[in-house]
Amino acid sequence: MTFLDLARKNAWRMPLRTVLLMVSIAVAFLIYGLTASFINGAQGAAGASDDLLGVTSAGGRTQPLPMAAKSRIAADPGVAVVGYVKRLRGFVDVERNVVAISAADPDLLMTVNGKELGLTPALVGAIGQSHDKVLVGRALAEAQGWTVGQRVTVTAFDTPREDGGRDWRFEIAGIFEGESAATDSYFMIARYGYVNAARARAKDTVDAFVVRPRAGVSPGELAARIDTLFANSATPTRTQSEKQFLEAFLRQYADIELIVNLVVGAAFVTLLMIVVNIMVFAVRERTFEIGLLKTLGFSRLRILALILGETLFVFAVGGGIGLALAKLATVAAGPVLGLVFSAAVLAKAIAIITVLGLASGALPAFNAMRTPIIKAFRTR
Amino acid sequence: MIQDIAPYIALIGIRKAYRIGGEMMPIFSGLDLTIPRGDFVAVMGPSGSGKSTLLNMLAGIDRPDAGTLSIGTSRLDQMGEAARSAWRAHNMGIVFQFYNLLPMLNAAENVELPLLLKPLSRKERRLRVERVLDLVGLSGWEKQYPAMMSGGQQQRIGIARAIVSDPGLLLCDEPTGDLDRKSADEVLDMLRFLNRELEKTIVMVTHDPQAALYARRTLHLDKGDFVEEKRAA
Ligand SMILES: Nc1ncnc2c1ncn2[C@@H]1O[C@H](COP(=O)(O)OP(=O)(O)OP(=O)(O)O)[C@@H](O)[C@H]1O
Ligand SMILES: [Mg+2]
Repeated sequence: MTFLDLARKNAWRMPLRTVLLMVSIAVAFLIYGLTASFINGAQGAAGASDDLLGVTSAGGRTQPLPMAAKSRIAADPGVAVVGYVKRLRGFVDVERNVVAISAADPDLLMTVNGKELGLTPALVGAIGQSHDKVLVGRALAEAQGWTVGQRVTVTAFDTPREDGGRDWRFEIAGIFEGESAATDSYFMIARYGYVNAARARAKDTVDAFVVRPRAGVSPGELAARIDTLFANSATPTRTQSEKQFLEAFLRQYADIELIVNLVVGAAFVTLLMIVVNIMVFAVRERTFEIGLLKTLGFSRLRILALILGETLFVFAVGGGIGLALAKLATVAAGPVLGLVFSAAVLAKAIAIITVLGLASGALPAFNAMRTPIIKAFRTR
Repeated sequence: MIQDIAPYIALIGIRKAYRIGGEMMPIFSGLDLTIPRGDFVAVMGPSGSGKSTLLNMLAGIDRPDAGTLSIGTSRLDQMGEAARSAWRAHNMGIVFQFYNLLPMLNAAENVELPLLLKPLSRKERRLRVERVLDLVGLSGWEKQYPAMMSGGQQQRIGIARAIVSDPGLLLCDEPTGDLDRKSADEVLDMLRFLNRELEKTIVMVTHDPQAALYARRTLHLDKGDFVEEKRAA
């Protein structure tokens, strides 16, 4: 037997109570694991790069910027390369099945954020073969069941064609993987030249420029310089890191992360209250035994550790089960829903488990530690 | 038997009072007592005379209000809770009337409990537990839980737990108070063996005159003082 065995055996004295506690802890951490993976993955912010800058219109993300701005941005000595994107949103087959297309220059895209997207020269070569070729992200391809060589038709919500139609036909030239599981790959890449030539309106404009600063150049300072450059032009700009860009993008609808954090936080606070309450009673029932342990020479600190050990054990088992289930769920449904259970999510969850385990044991442990032996012995 | 000349336990001018309903009720007002090393003392006296209070002070779990209480080289009356806690872990074993074994631990684990406070390996702890269980005649009962054992067996586990750390002092508060005659005699034989062969100093509170016969001497506590002291044969 070890000291930890003693804490464990104490926890199992009321098996039903302990199991119920562990179940509620497991459920709380399952929810936490899923929401944290969602925030981490669906926003793509986890895999988003902090070095890349996105230049969009200060008037709003849907306002186009003239292509002419590209050379002015490129003229800044801090800029290594400038790429550009025109985004299309549409659906395939049914309106619910929304897909996004980024129209870009494949070679430029490769130099600007080829690494983040997992682009290879072979992929760039493949899309270059004819004007209607597209590259599809791994997550999107898996969700739709698409394969290379297949033809797909996207009905655009926002970009009509010159010929009056809204159906854009493409042929899949390849599938890009994204740098890591956390990279957003639920979209496809088309050729800007083709889209620009065939669209009815706003020709020679882009939705965003993507800038890679030269090595050693501060992205923050460069962003400020670019915005100053266009401050008094017809199209003022707003330049942000890609991460900020993606986060701000979601924030336009609602601050999802804040809402999720509030809900999960409230769940944890409730959980804490419940466990503290149960543990205070559980330990009070054992006042006599704690007096006995003290009589045998267990110091106050050991009594403290014993009870904290017990709550930590309950939280570790319950939290471990919850997180394992969350991990399974993200592996099973991750690519489609964009859930990413990263090491950072795990580390944060373990930190929360530790804090809650210690916090919920603190009050009962403190009570037990302070009760004088003589008083404890008179409880029986 | 060899007994040291210098007293092992010395109580000088011990005062102790409890507050009962706003009034201070004195239990001891200047109690003196010396016990040499290797003694086996039975303490008798009417209910409420302060026997348990005396034993609790010797165990370092209660403190005198005034007076000197020394055991070996330790001045228990001057030590704080942390120091007394460490002192208890190494110097004193205690046996209770109602055994006070932990129900979720089996016999071996109950006995092992005090060893968790010592810098011993798992294997050393197991060997020590085996040795004392053998001593109290319960080897083979390691895996039994207290609820499955008779009172006499539980008390022998209690004694094993009290001596597993090899303390010099053994304190017993009515160790046979809950046992039938036969089990009581087995337990008392064991205490006598521990005193005679292993040279433990024993202070035993008891209501049972027959139990007191196992001791070397009996002290009678009444109205906060020893009224009579007699040597057993
Ligand atoms: N913690 C306490 N607070 C208040 N009074 C106490 C406390 N402990 C003991 N007393 C009182 O002190 C007196 C002596 O108690 P003690 O338990 O030492 O007696 P005892 O000789 O062991 O009696 P018994 O034979 O019934 O066990 C009793 O009157 C008891 O009510
Ligand atoms: Mg008593």
